Amino acid sequence: MTEFVQMDRRDALKALIAISATGALAACKDGGSTEGKAKPARKAAAKLNTSQMALLGALAQTIIPKTDTAGAVEAGVPAVVADLYENWGDDAYRSYWSDGLKDLDAHFKKEGGQAFADMSAKQQANLLGKYDAKAYGEDGFGGFYKDMKSTVATAYYMSEPGATEELAYEAVPGEWIGCRPLSEQPKTWAT
Amino acid sequence: MADFDVIVIGSGMSGGWVAKEMCERGFKVCVIERGREIVPGRDYTDFMDPWELQYLDRKTQNDKRERAIQSEVYAFNDATREYWVKDTEHPYEVPEGQRYRWRRGHHTGGRSIMWGRQTYRMSETDFLANKTDGHGVDWPVRYDEIASWYDYVERFAGISGSKEGLDILPDGVFQPPHDLTCAEIELKKRIEATYPGRKLIPGRVANLTAPTEEQIALGRGPCQARDLCFRGCSYGAYFSSNSATLPAAERTGNLTMLHDTAIHKLVQDPVTKRITAVEGVNTKTKAAVTLTAQTVFLNASTIPSAMILLNSATAENPNGLANSSGQVGHNLMDHIICGRASGTMPGMEDKYVAGRRPNGIYIPRFRNHTEAGEGFVRGFGYQGRAYRDNWRQSMNGAGVGAEYKAANQTPGPWRVSLVGFAEILPNFDNHVRLHGAKTDQWGFPIPVLDAKHRENEIALVRQAARDARDMLEQAGCENVVGADPETDIGSAPGDGIHEMGTMRMGRDPKTSVLNGFNQSWDIENLFITDGSFMTSGGCQNPSLTYMAFSARAADHAAKLMKAGEL
Repeated sequence: MTEFVQMDRRDALKALIAISATGALAACKDGGSTEGKAKPARKAAAKLNTSQMALLGALAQTIIPKTDTAGAVEAGVPAVVADLYENWGDDAYRSYWSDGLKDLDAHFKKEGGQAFADMSAKQQANLLGKYDAKAYGEDGFGGFYKDMKSTVATAYYMSEPGATEELAYEAVPGEWIGCRPLSEQPKTWAT
Repeated sequence: MADFDVIVIGSGMSGGWVAKEMCERGFKVCVIERGREIVPGRDYTDFMDPWELQYLDRKTQNDKRERAIQSEVYAFNDATREYWVKDTEHPYEVPEGQRYRWRRGHHTGGRSIMWGRQTYRMSETDFLANKTDGHGVDWPVRYDEIASWYDYVERFAGISGSKEGLDILPDGVFQPPHDLTCAEIELKKRIEATYPGRKLIPGRVANLTAPTEEQIALGRGPCQARDLCFRGCSYGAYFSSNSATLPAAERTGNLTMLHDTAIHKLVQDPVTKRITAVEGVNTKTKAAVTLTAQTVFLNASTIPSAMILLNSATAENPNGLANSSGQVGHNLMDHIICGRASGTMPGMEDKYVAGRRPNGIYIPRFRNHTEAGEGFVRGFGYQGRAYRDNWRQSMNGAGVGAEYKAANQTPGPWRVSLVGFAEILPNFDNHVRLHGAKTDQWGFPIPVLDAKHRENEIALVRQAARDARDMLEQAGCENVVGADPETDIGSAPGDGIHEMGTMRMGRDPKTSVLNGFNQSWDIENLFITDGSFMTSGGCQNPSLTYMAFSARAADHAAKLMKAGEL
């Protein structure tokens, strides 16, 4: 609660909302900040490498696939995550992501017999679905995965296709209407 | 001959008003701003879309280094970063074991660009509070004396709100209120039915919903429901010095704006006891600056205004200028943000909103008013809202693939949130003092901010936590979470960003710094109309009260000047 107290008004209200939603604590801490976690001994690479990017892209696209609207890859999500890794995060953040991706890579190789990125879309959805169910169903499992998923989702819904095609977005609404039928605009507002 | 008729130190919420009023009365006015020039439109970031924000709008490593304190503010983000000072360049100290969070912006308009815009009058109960319970000194002004000035500033500034007829929160000159959401309408019904002494009303906010001709003539337009106010508004739709008072001052031809100039000292004539000059530095070149005027208004905001007077000490006035009472820098107040609670309200799944309201709901004070307060004096009000959850909540749920997308595309349950704002008593021990040894890079002593929440404040905070939870539970909300009524201590001093009280007005020169017209008891040509004049703080957001007293003080000073009495 200490952090909570330090935040102010509007953000605190947002944080309150986030805290009460399942597993949302990460959202309150910049979607997976590594503050407070022990510093690893090994320093992670400055950039995500090709195989890490392939894994990340496949995970993101399985979480948010292309439907009648863009998927995570079409929306440019992997590049946003790579930018966070290279330019926003500190060494601890990079280690967290590097280690987290390594663990997921090993897990899916074991479960599926090949790299996640090389699997069929069906197998990806099947295996990730199982992992996801366990992560949200069992305490203490899948912490990195949940942080990664919320980062991917945030990058997607803040992207232009995510905000304007998948969700509804108006840069300049012009007026405020406090109560009207959902049927007039059934999609969630992006902001 | 002086350089100007009037010098106003500070271009923020109150200084802008003084500039407008004095320029419009024909005086040559110089507004001295310590920060950079901001040009509305050119320097605003209000047309950035979500995908233009860097790093998903997360606080950066640099933010944590350079703006460790400022970047905690709710209004700090990738689009507003530059409005907040670098803490590394503007240090202050706090006694061991205490906290003070001082949030600042140095630029044209000061914090009037980033303010929360909630706008409430103080009531007769507030102006009588000190006299009634014996804390602090009695206000020299009663509600009836300031009411017409509230009308005056509201008409010009443009306040959206509803007439409610409440003693504790007097009505004003309002433009149409913002709609309540479906869930807020329901919440209002249930709270008012359960608690006959409580009201839930639309927030009163300084955003134009039906601009007047006067406002349109200043280039201001109606609110576009973007809720991006903290970035500055290119439509001029919310009140700021930049959108309203400074343009009004400018068009008279009587305004000189001086940026990048930090005033460190006022100079007093030992014989006449008048302020003859203000001294400081150009913050870019560090060259010394001296300017003279017939009358000086100090509007540097509560903490710096006190520092300037304390730093102006001389052999005859070793405790600083305008300080024969010994009260300068003392009685520092704020509001405590506390009593947070939130919960979901079932139902109304077929209803939604459109647009983004830069506002919320307000529950005016009821403790020690319509309902008793046990173990404390004064009270608190609540701000809040009820919106449907969006993808930011649902994305943290289970699921992948098309189903996950569909879940994030569907609005979630209505979620009600409340947050209390509690009054802080004036207390001599809560104060700002100059550091004995350290200065900033411009040679100005840094402040030590020494303030604590005490018994009454903690009791208010805990009651606010209990009442918020009870209200949500009684109103049928589910999954209610929030501040713990047994342990909550509320926000740190300063965190309300409502610092006030360091040069209080009063009825007696021995116990107060200013008279009832914001004029120094000791120095006739010195007026102070930023939040430092506040004799008590109420629990309402205070900017409107600063505006009303600034306009009234300027009117008074102008009359004295024209009569040759100043």
